[in-house]
Amino acid sequence: MGTDTITDAILLRLRVEDLLYLEADLLDSWRLEEWLALYTADAHYHVPPTDVDGENADPDKALFYIVDDAVRMRERVVRLGKKAAHSEWPRSKVRHLVSNVRVERDGPTIRARSSFAVWRSKDGTSDVFVGHYLHVLVEQDDGTLMIAGKTCVLDMEALRPHARISVIL
Amino acid sequence: MQQAPQIIDDPAGARFLVPRTAFTSRDVFDREYAAIFDRCWLYLGHASELPEPGSFLTRTVARRPVLFNRDKDGEFRALLNVCPHRGAIVCRERRGTSPAFMCMYHGWTFGSDGHLMTLPGSSGYPAGFKRDPQKQMVPVPRMERFGDFFFISFARDGEDLATYLADAGDVLDLVAQHSASGMQIVGGTQEYAIRGNWKLLAENSFDGYHAACTHSTYLDYLKNANGALGATPLAGVGRDLGKGHAMVEYSAPWGRPIASWVPLWGEQGKTEIAAINAALEARVGTERANRIAHLNRNMVIFPNLVVNDIMAITIRTFFPTAPDYVEVNAWALAPHEESDWLRKYRLYNFTEFLGPGGFATPDDVEAIEKCQIGYAAAGEARYNDISKGMGRADGASFDDEEQMRAYWREWDRRLAMAEA
Repeated sequence: MGTDTITDAILLRLRVEDLLYLEADLLDSWRLEEWLALYTADAHYHVPPTDVDGENADPDKALFYIVDDAVRMRERVVRLGKKAAHSEWPRSKVRHLVSNVRVERDGPTIRARSSFAVWRSKDGTSDVFVGHYLHVLVEQDDGTLMIAGKTCVLDMEALRPHARISVIL
Repeated sequence: MQQAPQIIDDPAGARFLVPRTAFTSRDVFDREYAAIFDRCWLYLGHASELPEPGSFLTRTVARRPVLFNRDKDGEFRALLNVCPHRGAIVCRERRGTSPAFMCMYHGWTFGSDGHLMTLPGSSGYPAGFKRDPQKQMVPVPRMERFGDFFFISFARDGEDLATYLADAGDVLDLVAQHSASGMQIVGGTQEYAIRGNWKLLAENSFDGYHAACTHSTYLDYLKNANGALGATPLAGVGRDLGKGHAMVEYSAPWGRPIASWVPLWGEQGKTEIAAINAALEARVGTERANRIAHLNRNMVIFPNLVVNDIMAITIRTFFPTAPDYVEVNAWALAPHEESDWLRKYRLYNFTEFLGPGGFATPDDVEAIEKCQIGYAAAGEARYNDISKGMGRADGASFDDEEQMRAYWREWDRRLAMAEA
């Protein structure tokens, strides 16, 4: 591999990492409208269950935890903005850790795999969601990256003791 | 032994009170296992989960490891998944297909009917040892099916399943009749836990009173989502189905993939739904078809099976491991013959409302967990009020609490019976 190719690959990974860290920061600080703005108009946000092959499962054929298209992502943000979203009011403390980022380019589409741990703390309990993200990113005409989809594959046996994915993973 | 806390059931005074220690006491929890979980018929699984001879899955039912499988002849079986030798779990996989099961400890190997097939080092045992009834895997004392729903009981004697189910059987039939070719469990299980007493989940599952407040954001969402909401109002009844089983049955504004169309599903969807509705009417008659298609049912089969036939169908069962902790498993049930298009909407509907990532269940969990925290004061703030609609002369509304009273009376009866 030539030096230029290596440099390009590293630069691309750094750009993707910047975006993933920005996403984590926005979610941790409950800036959900800004989080939504990172996504394209036809984006999706999926969380498959833990007893299927989460990387390949089809949400039209298997029961998932979360199958949000762009409309429902928006509605999720709207809902979480209300005090009547009882599970998240008062808001829980959230911290997203993202690591092990690997990036593959396929024309304007970039696929990123990364590991995550998300802590949600509230009412004397602290639960951690562990898994890996599959991000689909699209390079815009102006060179910026937008997220066209995120699948959160939980590397857990079951959602226990967690009862809810009421924060955005 | 101290006296178990008892409910106060006073129809003349329209009072129905449940002591909060019923949710917190370790003594009550132990009694519940002895008087309820070790005695009642408990849901095990659905026939569609074991599609062929040799299919198996492992589940925990009332704290016991259970192997639910089909033997080589295709017969459904429920075995305690425990080696007769030293007691290790025999099958350690969640599901699959296998003609035999080998214990990893010493290699004892069992056929799909639980009989001991292979005994390593058999020269160390007397002749006939391998055929000794005590050296075979132990079947669950009783298993019966109602349609494609399999139930087990750890009590060797007692009433048969159909008698136990009482009028809940007909409601299970209503679910089965959604399909001409049979219903199936859709792949993917929602497996979670709640930090609350298991009876709080039973109550919540058919509580028609809480929706307007607890789920206001879900109802807002339906209004915002263009065309997700029909014109039908929330209205209906609460029904006691006998033997502690009960339900609420009501009309609702959301779409039902069986035959209640909403504008979001488009004109093509309207045509498909109309065809399903016509076939349903031809199969079961207009009156029953209308009930199946247009009415929602949230049913609790005592003690711990929830069948909610709402914007999708969920089968949910749960077992407590402590007074303040319950493990939940939930599945989606759908007609075999359903088109890809409608299956997609069904699952979209399901995840919109139900489950840990939905727009409603997390707030149910919030309510349950907050109740449990509140019950720390059960010594002073002592009773839950479950009296809504008790004095009503014209029958229980879906948002009364008659269905919960039916459940609690059975709970009280079973605990008192065990005491006597």
